[in-house]
Amino acid sequence: MGRTSALLFLSRTMGSMFRSEEVALVQLFLPTAAAYACVSQLGELGLVEFRDLNASVSAFQRRFVVDVRRCEELEKTFTFLQEEVRQAGLTLPLPEGALPAPLPRDLLRIQEETDRLAQELRDVRGNRQALRAQLHQLQLHSAVLGQGHGPSLAASHTDGPLERTPLLQSSGGPHQDLRVNFVAGAVEPHKAAALERLLWRACHGFLIASFRDAEQQLEGPVTGEPATWVTFLISYWGEQIGQKIRKITDCFHCHVFPFVEQEEARRAALQQLQQQSQELREVLGETEHFLSQVLGRVQRLLPPWQVQIRKMKAVYLALNQCSVSTTHKCLIAEAWCATRDLPTLQQALQGSSSEAGVSAVVHRIPCRDMPPTLIRTNRFTASFQGIVDAYGVGRYQEVNPAPYTIITFPFLFAVMFGDVGHGLLMFLFALAMVLAENRPAVKTARNEIWRTFFEGRYLLLLMGLFSVYTGFIYNECFSCATAVFPSGWSVAAMANQSGWSDAFLAQQPLLSLDPNVTGVFLGPYPFGIDPVWSLAVNHLSFLNSFKMKMSVILGVTHMTFGVVLGVFNHMHFGQWHRLLLETLPELVFLLGLFGYLVFLVAYKWLRVTAASAASAPSILIHFINMFLFSSSPTNRPLFSGQEVVQPTLVVLALAMVPVLLLGTPLFLHREHRRCHSRRRQQPDKDTAGLLDLPDTSLASQGSDEEKAGCPGDQAEAEFVVSEVFMHQAIHTIEFCLGCISNTASYLRLWALSLAHARESRLLPTPSCWMRGPLWSLLLFFFLQYAGLPRLWPLPSRSAGSGRAGPAAMAHGPSRSAACGIFSDRGTNPCPLHRQADPQPLRNQGSPGRFLVSLSVKGGRRRRSPAGPRGGRASGRRGGLVVPTVPSSTCRAVTGPVGHGDASRPEPGRRDGCGGCGPGPRLRRLRRDDRGHPAGDGGALGLPARAAAALGGVPEQVLLGYWLQAEPLHLRRGG
Amino acid sequence: MLEGAELYFNADHGYLEGLVRGCKAGLLTQRDYINLVQCETLEDLKIHLQTTDYGNFLANQTNPLTVSIIDTEMRKKLCREFEYFRNHSLEPLSTFFTYMTCSYMIDNVILLMNGALQKKSVKEILVKCHPLGRFTEMEAVNIAETPSDLFNAILVETPLAPFFQDCMSENTLDELNIEILRNKLYKSYIEAFYKFCKNHGDVTAEIMCPILEFEADRRAFIITLNSFGTELSKEDRETLYPTCGKLYPEGLHLLAQAEDFEQMKRVADYGVYKPLFEAVGDGSGGKTLEDVFYEHEVQMNVLAFNRQFHYGVFYAYTKLKEQEIRNVVWIAECISQRHRTKINSYIPIL
Repeated sequence: MGRTSALLFLSRTMGSMFRSEEVALVQLFLPTAAAYACVSQLGELGLVEFRDLNASVSAFQRRFVVDVRRCEELEKTFTFLQEEVRQAGLTLPLPEGALPAPLPRDLLRIQEETDRLAQELRDVRGNRQALRAQLHQLQLHSAVLGQGHGPSLAASHTDGPLERTPLLQSSGGPHQDLRVNFVAGAVEPHKAAALERLLWRACHGFLIASFRDAEQQLEGPVTGEPATWVTFLISYWGEQIGQKIRKITDCFHCHVFPFVEQEEARRAALQQLQQQSQELREVLGETEHFLSQVLGRVQRLLPPWQVQIRKMKAVYLALNQCSVSTTHKCLIAEAWCATRDLPTLQQALQGSSSEAGVSAVVHRIPCRDMPPTLIRTNRFTASFQGIVDAYGVGRYQEVNPAPYTIITFPFLFAVMFGDVGHGLLMFLFALAMVLAENRPAVKTARNEIWRTFFEGRYLLLLMGLFSVYTGFIYNECFSCATAVFPSGWSVAAMANQSGWSDAFLAQQPLLSLDPNVTGVFLGPYPFGIDPVWSLAVNHLSFLNSFKMKMSVILGVTHMTFGVVLGVFNHMHFGQWHRLLLETLPELVFLLGLFGYLVFLVAYKWLRVTAASAASAPSILIHFINMFLFSSSPTNRPLFSGQEVVQPTLVVLALAMVPVLLLGTPLFLHREHRRCHSRRRQQPDKDTAGLLDLPDTSLASQGSDEEKAGCPGDQAEAEFVVSEVFMHQAIHTIEFCLGCISNTASYLRLWALSLAHARESRLLPTPSCWMRGPLWSLLLFFFLQYAGLPRLWPLPSRSAGSGRAGPAAMAHGPSRSAACGIFSDRGTNPCPLHRQADPQPLRNQGSPGRFLVSLSVKGGRRRRSPAGPRGGRASGRRGGLVVPTVPSSTCRAVTGPVGHGDASRPEPGRRDGCGGCGPGPRLRRLRRDDRGHPAGDGGALGLPARAAAALGGVPEQVLLGYWLQAEPLHLRRGG
Repeated sequence: MLEGAELYFNADHGYLEGLVRGCKAGLLTQRDYINLVQCETLEDLKIHLQTTDYGNFLANQTNPLTVSIIDTEMRKKLCREFEYFRNHSLEPLSTFFTYMTCSYMIDNVILLMNGALQKKSVKEILVKCHPLGRFTEMEAVNIAETPSDLFNAILVETPLAPFFQDCMSENTLDELNIEILRNKLYKSYIEAFYKFCKNHGDVTAEIMCPILEFEADRRAFIITLNSFGTELSKEDRETLYPTCGKLYPEGLHLLAQAEDFEQMKRVADYGVYKPLFEAVGDGSGGKTLEDVFYEHEVQMNVLAFNRQFHYGVFYAYTKLKEQEIRNVVWIAECISQRHRTKINSYIPIL
């Protein structure tokens, strides 16, 4: 019993994740006395979304505009206080604890205190400002007086006239009263030059002016920025000129000070000034102390107030959206609320309105509008939901793709990022964040980059975890293969069987292992890729083939899954016709073309063995021929009846396009006509039938979902054929093109996986370990965001229901990344033909750098990594090719052949003719390949069946891409 | 037809042109004016302006709101934008900007001299000066006794200096002389500006010349209108007319002979200004000549935005913004004086 209820609960809570929750429109009757408390309580709970009932009323004519304005006034004062605190170089702490919206009567108290605080702050600051200005003035004055000291230019100028004056007097002329006067002052540095020029122009010849930079920098009283003022001393004759000078100095806002001629008097004044400024400094210190006290109080009080007032304002803004019923003395609000939360809502309203003695009432009302989409998330699902929402929010009650994204997103990431080591690092990083998530320091960190990572921590966690898994599949750990199990290939067997002689080994730089030889291939590797491949030159071409096909399979599966998700939408909304007219054609189209491709791949893996690899048919040619309705004589059919099946599928798929395009519009049109004619007939029987017409026009606002859901009145509402047709046409084009381009785009999984592997392999030193993953991470995110929106049908409201699924789940391969499934068209239209070449190609020299220690000697190193040649070499037999070492080096290392793997008998040693050939290679291998036990040198061939069992790919279909990209190096002479 | 200047315009001035067009989109619309007119108090007005591009430009005012505060703040905003344009401009656009400020500088100088004549303190008058026409030496204007004094001592370093060539005289500066000085300065300024635009050529000339021609003619009309019944002789009057307008030379000559409004109107009959004079209402209720001129100016300025790759947009934007400030101030005055009957006679900006 208990278990059932638990299951029920589970399904209910899970249900909200799979599909957006049921939302009802409710009407709230809030008694005027309790309205504020009710809304405040609702705000704390966050259960409802208010609808604006006064949309036509402008912002000022609403009921609570006065209160809102009061809150705004307060916020203005807060801004002032905050700015003051910031200017003082302090920060406001974050508010703590629960801070409900204050009661309206508390607002007065807060307002009063805030105003007092602001006034106090203003006063103190004003005082400080005044004191600073005074101090500044004193300092300038002393600077000006100080200018007179020393052997300054001014002194020499002033001396001149002073000396001359007695001479003039003694001559007894009419200039007896004429004496030299002084104007001394200071001016801001950037104005000094202009002042000097103006003085000279306005009254040149009548004055001598000297300008000097002050000795020390002074802080400006307002800005506090230090500046070197320029002091000046002007000596002049005549009162007229004096007035002019004074006017000019005024206009430049100079500070002019009395200047005493006598040296002693000046010195005394200077001393006095210094004393004054000393006193002033003390007073200033006191003021600053007081100011810091006030600021401390602001720091303590302001943050909680800010939160409270913001809440209060929000409450009033919500109340402004309510309509007023004067007769009932209450406010009427309409709000959206999840049906599940209705009891809680009821309770909350009762709780908060009971104080006022009246009770608020809530009841559901029917509504025609489409309710908002509500999907609850927790800290785990939030990041996934965020990704889905980035592509668009589904409509009400549509299937929510987020739960599937939890698996698909990290998995598709991991397909590209497959590496145990890198994945583990990522996992540990995410794990650290998850474990520390409750720490306040982590939670409140404001660093934007950090927040991005932190919010996606569960995403990162899963991505890391899946990367470890795919890393095991790819058998890569920090780009090195690990040999957990013994390898399935045996070199010794190969050597024994084909009788490799010393001379042969000396000649051949590369040896190939042929799986067709008994004992060479012992069976598939238990999990993932056989580590021996990491030694092979054709490692890359083997992996390419495998990863490319895997990407196509994943992609087609993923897209099919998305289409199937749409079925749930159709079923939920009762649109059964769409199952037949949309989902079915879509599935046929997708599976008929690309599903068939997947089938071909799987079929070939299972049916073509290593023995028949030489004559294996090419999937590429078959697939191309399928669309051309032709067949190529050199390409053997994969299975009997293929000539019939392929054209049928193509015709069927193409036939589905018109069904998809026209089906739904025509069906809806017919439904509409039928309803209409039924209505037409009714008036004949029923005389009152005319009255129905206005009714139907009233009921015309349903969306097309509702139309289909409730046949009858609503269905025929406003049915516009062209609009429906337009939607369907867009959908059809989008789908069909999307199928093709997305299949190609999924190859990005392969491309990026390749990029990751190669990047990290190129520089396997520990310091560069992180480079590969970093690059592929960057590439991944770039392509993710650059390419996706273009390619994927988005679950937008306009696009009709049922497409949200595949769209939002897609982790967008982008066209740019895909090099095409069959990238070798052009010069090599048929790789198979080349592969079927009877001559066994042996590749020579130049193994990949990762194989360097095994075989590279001297000049071979200059050749580029192994990919292309490996691909070519493996041509006929699909053998894995490992370079051999010139026998000179071989001979140097002699001794018993040690096989790293104890679990298997070592056949190589028994062998007479293979003698020392494999021996040294093996030793080198063991030493150099970072401990691979599967160190059988020589070429390995992996049979198709075995590869398929591994999830691998038979080698027969090798990409020509790499062959083209890099030149072929055929055998070295001899 | 593509000319070189148009091809390279954007390399130097594209950013500013984009910016000014964006600013132009922020001008108050007809809807905003309708809302503003409905305001009951200045506070309402402020809230309405907050929803426009003005944003929180009055947010820091703690004192009760007055019309002059609104005016000052709006001007400051315009000034900030203008300074930004000017600081980011390259030649010859920066010269163009300098020319634009000259008219405000002339006004400021004249204002200060008038103030000095009436023995008002400099500080009192400084407040009234237009911020766009501010310059450092401005406050020293009152030490000058004669125009040549003024030039030699103070204005020789400012961009106004070239305009002084016609008005060097030793007359003492009384009220009439100051007015004459102003008009002479303005005449040579507008002619120089016209010449600058004409020499620049391209779209700038095509746009700016008609605007400046209109400006010149408007001044001629206003001077004529204001000189009726003063001691200004007809010959003197003629020397004040800017000679770059459409009225030059015949119209100006006729205008110099006009003795009353009717005669002035008859001068305009032959030219493009006929519809403007016809729009002037008689006595009460109708539009004044000034309003009609403003409306025409607004129209020309708005049309300037229809062409691209020219400097006229900067001029037009500044003028439109000024008109907007006048409008808002007018509405604010009407609101604060509770004089609502005339509140609708602002100049709509199309």
